[in-house]
Amino acid sequence: MAATINLSDSERSSPNDQSVSSRSSNRSLRVAEKERRKNEAEDPFVLALKYFTDVEAGTPVYGNDDFERNLVLVEKVAYSKGLSPEAISVMLEFAMSLRMGSSPCVRVLKCLIPATVVPQEAVVRAVVWLGVGKIPISTQVLFIKWVLTVFDMIDTKDQLRAVYGFIFSYVTEENLCPFICHLLYLLTRKESVRVFRVRKLLELQSKLGRQPFLLHLLSLYKVFCPELVTLSIPSRMRSGFRNHISPWKSALIAVQKRNGLQVASSMSLAFTIKDKTNSRKRKHCHLEVPALRSVVNKEAQTEKCSSRKVVPLVQLHSFAQLLENMHHIELPAQMGSLLGSSLALQYLDCVQDESALLRLNFWLGYALHEEFLFCGDGGAIQNSEDALQFLNKLLSAHHFLQEGFSSSEAFLYKFLNVWDGSLLRPQILGLLSNIPVVPSSQIGRLLFEPLTQLFFTSSLFFKCGLVECLNNMLLKWLTWHSVYALEDDLDISLNSHTSINMTLSGFKDSVMELVNFVGQLASVGLQIEGCQSLLLSFVLDFYETVCDTFLKYGLPLVVMPPSGVFYPALFALDPVSVDRLAYIMHRYKVNLTSAKAQEKLTKQAFHISRQTFHEFNHYVVDMVSCLWNSKMFQPGMGVQLGEELLLKSKVPQYWTSFDLIHHPAFMSYAVDFHQKCWPGKKDMDLSSIKHSKPWSWYLEYLFTQGYDGLKQFVQSNISRQLTASDGQGDTQQR
Amino acid sequence: MESPQNSVARTPSNSAIVQRRSKSKSYRQSYRSCLGAASRLGLTPGLTARRLNSSRRALKSQVITEKVNPEHLAILVKAEWQLSYVTPLYQFRHTQLKSYSRQLSAFIAAEKQQGLAVEVEGSQSSFRVSFSVVQGMAETDDDAETVLIQIFSKPMFAKQDEPQRSVWSGWLTCINGNPDYLHSLPKGFTCLPLFGSSGAEVLTSLVKSWFQQTFDCCFGCLEINQTSLQWLAALWTNCHTESSLKHLKMIWTIPVVPPLQVTYTVDPQDAWELWMSVRMDQLDKSEEEEEEQARNIDIEEVTRFMQGLKSHFYRHFRLDLSAGNLQQVSTALGSAKFSGKIKISSSRYIITTLALLTECALLKMPI
Repeated sequence: MAATINLSDSERSSPNDQSVSSRSSNRSLRVAEKERRKNEAEDPFVLALKYFTDVEAGTPVYGNDDFERNLVLVEKVAYSKGLSPEAISVMLEFAMSLRMGSSPCVRVLKCLIPATVVPQEAVVRAVVWLGVGKIPISTQVLFIKWVLTVFDMIDTKDQLRAVYGFIFSYVTEENLCPFICHLLYLLTRKESVRVFRVRKLLELQSKLGRQPFLLHLLSLYKVFCPELVTLSIPSRMRSGFRNHISPWKSALIAVQKRNGLQVASSMSLAFTIKDKTNSRKRKHCHLEVPALRSVVNKEAQTEKCSSRKVVPLVQLHSFAQLLENMHHIELPAQMGSLLGSSLALQYLDCVQDESALLRLNFWLGYALHEEFLFCGDGGAIQNSEDALQFLNKLLSAHHFLQEGFSSSEAFLYKFLNVWDGSLLRPQILGLLSNIPVVPSSQIGRLLFEPLTQLFFTSSLFFKCGLVECLNNMLLKWLTWHSVYALEDDLDISLNSHTSINMTLSGFKDSVMELVNFVGQLASVGLQIEGCQSLLLSFVLDFYETVCDTFLKYGLPLVVMPPSGVFYPALFALDPVSVDRLAYIMHRYKVNLTSAKAQEKLTKQAFHISRQTFHEFNHYVVDMVSCLWNSKMFQPGMGVQLGEELLLKSKVPQYWTSFDLIHHPAFMSYAVDFHQKCWPGKKDMDLSSIKHSKPWSWYLEYLFTQGYDGLKQFVQSNISRQLTASDGQGDTQQR
Repeated sequence: MESPQNSVARTPSNSAIVQRRSKSKSYRQSYRSCLGAASRLGLTPGLTARRLNSSRRALKSQVITEKVNPEHLAILVKAEWQLSYVTPLYQFRHTQLKSYSRQLSAFIAAEKQQGLAVEVEGSQSSFRVSFSVVQGMAETDDDAETVLIQIFSKPMFAKQDEPQRSVWSGWLTCINGNPDYLHSLPKGFTCLPLFGSSGAEVLTSLVKSWFQQTFDCCFGCLEINQTSLQWLAALWTNCHTESSLKHLKMIWTIPVVPPLQVTYTVDPQDAWELWMSVRMDQLDKSEEEEEEQARNIDIEEVTRFMQGLKSHFYRHFRLDLSAGNLQQVSTALGSAKFSGKIKISSSRYIITTLALLTECALLKMPI
């Protein structure tokens, strides 16, 4: 059954076959049937192969039943299971040697469907026959097409490469040329690129005109030896060589499916030309990332790398190749091109060559300056789409490398002075957050002055964005510190790791400046925006970073928030802000206690000032007496109001108005709790929660609502056994 | 000018580099901060507001013909140049000019017929390029030698034996470049920040893109700003006694609707007298250091000179030129336009003019 299906399979493909008539295929069907019945014992396929091995030159084809029978057999096997490597060798040798003339040649070539691999020797021998025999040109083309189709199945290619020159000589054959070029393209190594070959191709080009196959081969030559080939590729042309799988396609796929192999992937050859999708003329071409090219003037650098074999980055196409060649990669002609390829970015991370980075920075700085600072048309940036893409590309490079480039930093210092705060805001703020540590002596002039101006003249959203950006900046600085300071903990200065001459105290100064700056911005900003909760949330994000500098990043520095931030958060209308403030205060406490413990332990001279402890304690006392003890507006607190003013307000028991029950943020919870606790009670008396039992229930209730910050704050600052009387805020640490 | 921190960072601290490389983790520092590594490039623009020199020596007439090949000089003097600034060239060798000539001509041929590869060695190309060094232009040892590029071609309908004509020329130069900046560049970089070109725009852009691809540099427009134009006006006027100005012509555009252009031509003698009156005040002040001071011109003098010219104009036409933009200054010694076109007509003042322009070009450097 299977046999007949396969036969019909072969029949279906035979109409394409010019040389075999339908009559002979009908006959082959009959012959095959007969053959199968007669020779069951011996393997007829082996016999058939033996026939083709031994058949003498000059044996006639027409009317030769033996030949017909054997070939049909081979075809049957080929179309069903594919041919073994030996079978391929035998049949290819038979066909190309023209022992029975050229007529069976095409038929044999069409059935050369490999089951596994194609032995290289067979192909090399066939190539040699190409030069010896009088094979018709169309058959020659068919043969080369076959080689191209099965190229990935050829077991090794070293011998084929060894006869590169021989194969190259067929390039002058006009009909063969396109296919030979394709084959050469697949075989070319750097060694194969020679001046005389380039000459020959150029000569052909002048004869044949600009043919894509010549262009592709030449462009590959250019990749290997840019100094030998000068060529510019038109932007429209990008596709690679056409594939020539068609005569074998259906059979090959069928066989491979049956054998569980994947279809050879060689069929589509990616030809890497820069993807120029938008061919419209660009006014500002400086934003284009240059294409990856290898260096032309090799001789200029020979003294450096003559001893080593170098691989241009252009020739690497996978991460594995990159790893393999990591130590002898040649940098591209234009360093800017590294930004355009993700593989190259991987490499950029390891580039140590200072001048290479300088080249990159020159290009990047140039592009940024031309686009945003030197723009002639009075600052109107017209192609913001291009600029957006460019900056996004730059940002993703920053994120990949986890830091910024010095040229973008230098650019920002200038640009902040002319920025309107809205043009490409997310991108610019993103770049800004990548700025490395700025010495405290410069930070004011470079960053704070322009940023202050922008902050106070821009919208709420800019304010939020800027605070977020500065938070990211601080995070990066702290991370940088924790990485480099840990490297050798003996030395207190960070000197040895960086070109920034910065000591630990210098770094601390910078961080302190930054934190204080954000504190000032936040205080005034919250006032201007009426303590807008969105802005408050970003500010609290920032202080979540600040409160943990010692424990998370090992920086012995604790800076408290200014009262302009603390009190708005404490009296915020939303419970989340109060909760976050409680969490922050809790973390401050943990940091301060462990800093103190360490100070005692190591007797080391880092010192957190009394002032800081004082501020902390003051805040905690205020917070406890306000939320817990219902002692608002008492003398000594951060927020004070005149007695007569409070009386005038006619708020009963004003001192309780910000405890956890009456605080505007928690009032709704208190009401809810009250209803749940005393469902039947008609008149609501929130003060009744204040009694010891309901009070601790109420706290439990709040904590189950997800206010973990409050929970931690209460646990670490308030000793619960005293809650029975009236609660007592503790005031530890001096 | 500079804060002490910078100058510490700037001194090419070789030891620091070595140290840095020995540490496996810290190599990244080389591109992380412009306050650090890159600010070895001295004048980190973000930190030190680089400005034009506020005082410069007067144009001194030089008998340059003795130093510089007169043929080259003739080319430089003949044309009006469109200026650009160029970031430092990487791996540029003055010894490779022959090979550059070949490569550039092949590049032009290839670009002219896209999709056609051309032979690098071949000479059948319709464009012939010649690179040459203009010896004797450099003022200090730090200045790289000026390079002259010429492109020759046959006219479209030329006769068989007609010789190729120069169709494009350009040069790269650095005269009296800021030594701090030049020293801060690592080995392998050649700083020729000023590029002048004259000829078809197509060829200019081809030459530029060849340079970009070969030496990893960038070209940007260099306009001659107000201050530089005023400087040139003053410097040229200062030469009047040595070689006649013939005229001092200035063009202003006034931002009104419809746009108004004012051409203001001053008699050279009047300009000279005005200039001297401005100078005299200065000279009186510093009688004792006269030798020294007489040669130096201060930006204040230039401003006062221009102010004098403007107020004269105001007296006659009731139009304050300060509201407008100076677009062009021209005298018999040369002409300069805001758009970055310059023509230097007298070889005697070529060096000092180019020094001013080099300074402008260096100011444009991104790092």
